[in-house]
Amino acid sequence: MKQQFLNLRTFAFAMSSILLISSCTDDSSPLIEEEKGNESRWITIAAAQMGTNPGDGNGGTLIYAVSSEDAKDPSKSIAPFDNGFIVPSNRTARLQSSEDGNTIFNISYAGDTGGNYSKYTVEGGQVFAPTGSEVSIAPYVGSAPRWIKLFDGDQTGAAVYVSTEHQIDDNGTPDDVTDDTYTRTEATIGVVTLDLENSLIKNFQEHIVPLSAEEEAKGYYFSRIDMPTLNAAGDKLYIGGRLSKRDPATAESDSNYEILGSKTIVLDYPSLLNPTVITSTVGHGNTNGYRSINAFEYNGSVYQANQSDPEGSHILKIDANNQYDNSYDFNLDDALGVTGAYVLAWRPAANGKAVLAYRHEGSEEGVAGAQGFFALVDLNAKTAVKIDAIPYEADFYLFQYQGFAVDGNEIYLTQAPVGKNGNMYVVDTETGVVTKGAELVNTTGSHFIGAF
Amino acid sequence: MRKDLLLLLFVSMASFAQKSEYKVLGKVVSGSGEPLFGATVLVDDNLYAAVVNENGDYSIENIPTGKHIIEASYMGFSTGQKEIYLESKNKKQHIHVNFSLSENSEALEIVHVHGESKKTRIEKKGFAVAIIETKEASQRNVQTNELLKTSVGVNIRQNGGLGSDVKYSLNGLSGSAVRIFIDGIPISVYGSSFSLNSIPPSMIKRIEVYKGVVPGHLADDALGGAINIVLHKGTKSNLNAAISYGSFNTFQTSLNGLYRAEKSGFTVKASGFYNYSDNDYKVSGKSVVVTGLGGVQTPITAKRFNDAYESTGGMFQMGFTNVNWADQFFIGITGSDDYKEIQHGAFMTVTPYKDRFMESDAMLGNLTYQKKNLFTKGLDVNLHGLYGKRNRVVSDTNAWAYSWNGQKAIDYKGDEFEYSWGSQQEKLEFGPVVNHINRYVASIRTGVSYRINHHHKFLLNHVYSGVDRKDRDAFASSFENTFVGTRDLYKNIFSATYELQAMRGKLKANVFGKYYQQKTVNIDPYINEETNKIEEEVIKAHTKNNGYGFAFSFALLRTITLLTSAEKAIRLPNESEVFGDDGDNVVANPSINPEKSENFNLGFRFGNFSIKKHDFTISTNLFTRNIKDRIGLPIDRNPDEVLLLYENQGSGTSKGIEAQLDYRFHNNFGFNFNVSHFSLKIKNNGVEIDVPNTPFFTMNGNLRYSVNNFIQKKARLNLFYTLYFTDEFSYIPPQGNNTIGNEFFNVPVQLAQDFGFSYTFPKKDFVLSFDIKNIFDKPLYDNLRVQKPGRAFYLKLNYSINKF
Repeated sequence: MKQQFLNLRTFAFAMSSILLISSCTDDSSPLIEEEKGNESRWITIAAAQMGTNPGDGNGGTLIYAVSSEDAKDPSKSIAPFDNGFIVPSNRTARLQSSEDGNTIFNISYAGDTGGNYSKYTVEGGQVFAPTGSEVSIAPYVGSAPRWIKLFDGDQTGAAVYVSTEHQIDDNGTPDDVTDDTYTRTEATIGVVTLDLENSLIKNFQEHIVPLSAEEEAKGYYFSRIDMPTLNAAGDKLYIGGRLSKRDPATAESDSNYEILGSKTIVLDYPSLLNPTVITSTVGHGNTNGYRSINAFEYNGSVYQANQSDPEGSHILKIDANNQYDNSYDFNLDDALGVTGAYVLAWRPAANGKAVLAYRHEGSEEGVAGAQGFFALVDLNAKTAVKIDAIPYEADFYLFQYQGFAVDGNEIYLTQAPVGKNGNMYVVDTETGVVTKGAELVNTTGSHFIGAF
Repeated sequence: MRKDLLLLLFVSMASFAQKSEYKVLGKVVSGSGEPLFGATVLVDDNLYAAVVNENGDYSIENIPTGKHIIEASYMGFSTGQKEIYLESKNKKQHIHVNFSLSENSEALEIVHVHGESKKTRIEKKGFAVAIIETKEASQRNVQTNELLKTSVGVNIRQNGGLGSDVKYSLNGLSGSAVRIFIDGIPISVYGSSFSLNSIPPSMIKRIEVYKGVVPGHLADDALGGAINIVLHKGTKSNLNAAISYGSFNTFQTSLNGLYRAEKSGFTVKASGFYNYSDNDYKVSGKSVVVTGLGGVQTPITAKRFNDAYESTGGMFQMGFTNVNWADQFFIGITGSDDYKEIQHGAFMTVTPYKDRFMESDAMLGNLTYQKKNLFTKGLDVNLHGLYGKRNRVVSDTNAWAYSWNGQKAIDYKGDEFEYSWGSQQEKLEFGPVVNHINRYVASIRTGVSYRINHHHKFLLNHVYSGVDRKDRDAFASSFENTFVGTRDLYKNIFSATYELQAMRGKLKANVFGKYYQQKTVNIDPYINEETNKIEEEVIKAHTKNNGYGFAFSFALLRTITLLTSAEKAIRLPNESEVFGDDGDNVVANPSINPEKSENFNLGFRFGNFSIKKHDFTISTNLFTRNIKDRIGLPIDRNPDEVLLLYENQGSGTSKGIEAQLDYRFHNNFGFNFNVSHFSLKIKNNGVEIDVPNTPFFTMNGNLRYSVNNFIQKKARLNLFYTLYFTDEFSYIPPQGNNTIGNEFFNVPVQLAQDFGFSYTFPKKDFVLSFDIKNIFDKPLYDNLRVQKPGRAFYLKLNYSINKF
């Protein structure tokens, strides 16, 4: 009988130890690599795994790098969901790449590492070698920072933050509510610059950024800012913004209000001092974009897309004098012949011709949201033409699109509906020729969010 | 399945409803006069049968005239037989037949069989239920949550040390799918100050964990199951005091007492507790760094510095017990207060919090009435009500940045700095926060049951709970506070239950229906533009729903019991889901439907097997939960879409198996082991995925060994060993086969081992116990990279007297 009791115990422990061993013996498969010639450029494909809803992209961000030849080769097949590197970020990573495509920069978004900057040397395939030390911008701009790599030779990243405070005048009688009035909402912005090469914080400044007294009396304020962009001279930083509005009667948030002219905050660079606000009379609505860079310097001016414009998105122009050029009127509704055009992401090549991802009122409602399209845009001619060589369907969801890879005049993009396979496409912005490239292997509910 | 069951019920009811002639009744006791609860009495070889109740009584009706053989039997006892003759002219319509059975020492295979404990009885009713008895644990340095954690199918995830946030999950369902009760009253009424974190096990008699199918008497919209804390109800005078001290400056003390005047039945009950811990255990890892010039990070091992926990509480009741008009009648008061510093948010980040804390208190009056056999035999009533106020405040007013070394942090230039958001926790609205939530709460649970005979019992239950809530931010202007709405929620849940016991107690069935009614009231002040006065906009929402279920147990053999239960369960949408949440930009969706789930359990219980001095029981349960109309927020489709609303999104399933082995040897060695494995999937917009961040495989083992007469005569030494195992799980959904970087998201395999002993002094009034938690100082995480305490030591002294 003693024997039996021992057996029971040993059995139970044997069982637990077997389970223990079996649960930690499955990670030693060889790394999957890709080759690249000296003439070629790495193209890193980014994909977002589904979290709980198709297209939400919250289940992990995966990246995989191939040579530009392979990216263009329709006989190749790229499967980041099977073979990719999962970027360490609790929610969809916010990725940027060096201009030559050899380095990927990431700032982790939300979670315990939110705000951590890290960079990786692209070695092909799933191999992304971490380089440099980590640094966190979370103490300055929070753990879910909105950041952009500036176009200054991959030296600097900039991240921004805004906090707001509703100001109430109690008329000298703090206990009597009836004579209290809402005065304004104060928006305080924080801007941090990050030395991408040495992983160090360069500068951080905070400013109260008021609107005009009239706008503030109506309850308008900057509620979100994003997309810092350097001007051509490199002495000013432009920050896009979104306005929200309070009901002055109750200080509660308002809806269905008049959309004001698009605004940009202008700061001295690199000091990040002397904020001013400039306003467009051409475009209305937000200039803070979403996940992809929203403003680019070209030929001495900065071209900026706007969103939620009642007349449809515009490409706005800020001249070397750091003011909106209101003579430049490039309306995408007119150019594309649609209504309610909404720029989701865009990227010009050095020739002033750009690829632009958009949706409009006529977009079909897909599994994750409104269907997206690509267009070829000419900033000088103010034309935009839908790229028909790319297949579209309802589930082609581009809302979370993060970036395009630019190689000379060629722009690389990813095309795949949510949960379905697709392809790389390469647009020669000069000739307008569209080349179908490697197959993109998708997985259930997931989608591709760009090429770097 | 349900139809078959109803048919079965009709058949069995019909068979017991024959015309009455005689009633045979009596007592079945052991040689020493102990009632033999559960013994069977058969008339004419199973033509009529009854099971003996806890008082040793039985009665059998409808016995026709003539000669009959009455037989009483009980495991481990020799069978008694008596012959009776019922004449048709006899005036008395009933006849007493008593049995006194002697222990059967000849039966070699069955030696020690005791009457079934309350635990076993509940476990055999057919529900998927785990009963945790706290008697032994209450003398040790064991928290109530730790006790729950070792129970099969229960998973507890805690965000740190003593007093930190706890998430309960039953068979994979968690959050608002799991409802917790104290004596049948929803624990939400008490607030966080009187919770499983603060209530010491010594106040608790037992904990019942109902998985998936919740009996009618615990009616609530518990979609995934219910945990019911049953507090002591004894009526014997006693006093019990305990004091404990241990690692992390953890001090805990509790006092429970009851005094009953034997003649009048006047009874006074009081209990109180005080818990304190610095929770300054060591942590390290990715985010535990000190930041220097330029933001350069140096990893350190840090002691948590803003994590102290303090809770105080008590309950005082006076009334009468065991008097002719009441078994229990009490009026009393429950008061509690708790203070918890908050070291970090959901994750441990590079910006630990300083001076952020939450404080809550509750003061509630209570009333209890219980009476068995009121007016007529078999009619039991009980009533338990609470009314009071509870308050909660979250305070975060320090804008200075702190480092993990507990010092003020420096920025890239080397200067101390304040956060742009003006508080420790980052947020979009600038400024310090002191958020008050004040609630008036009420809850009344009433139950009436009528036992027709030993076979049929009907129960009606009702639970009402109501919350009136008012929010206020002390740092917002009174103008802003004026326009903050109030949210009130009132819930009525009715249930009707029918219980059947048939075939000599082999078959037990419980069928119940529940009716849910919820009223939510939203009051939003606004300025009437014509009168320029503040007026209130009142919106009300009503939800009404039905649910039903059954539990069924059948003893195939004396040692093999089949247990099966099912319920169509409901979770009503909560106030934010119906009315939105201004702070989170969530707008109202009054048309939202409740979550529904079809829950099934199929289990077997093998045992109790007694072979010489070995006793063991094996039980196992297979379960599925099919959830429909899951409530969730839509995905972030559009950053300009500032306002979101909760919607019914999709479905989900949880399937799994759990098993438990209990083994006892000669009353001085005990071993139990349990294992639970499940898969949890959800389906949204037609796509099904495995739910990430779910520990799907857990095991617990427990050893106990007692030595009598240790050092001193009549003293007793108990040795304990506990092992907790949680398999690795990932924070993100399953990835492809060859991906790399997965380990960043993994919560690694965890294996914790605790050891303890308790020593009972010869007079049995003092018990000294010593426990080591996490003996091997392994890093433990319930949540991604949120570290739990390492090795810790605790010493406890208990004193109790049962005679005054």
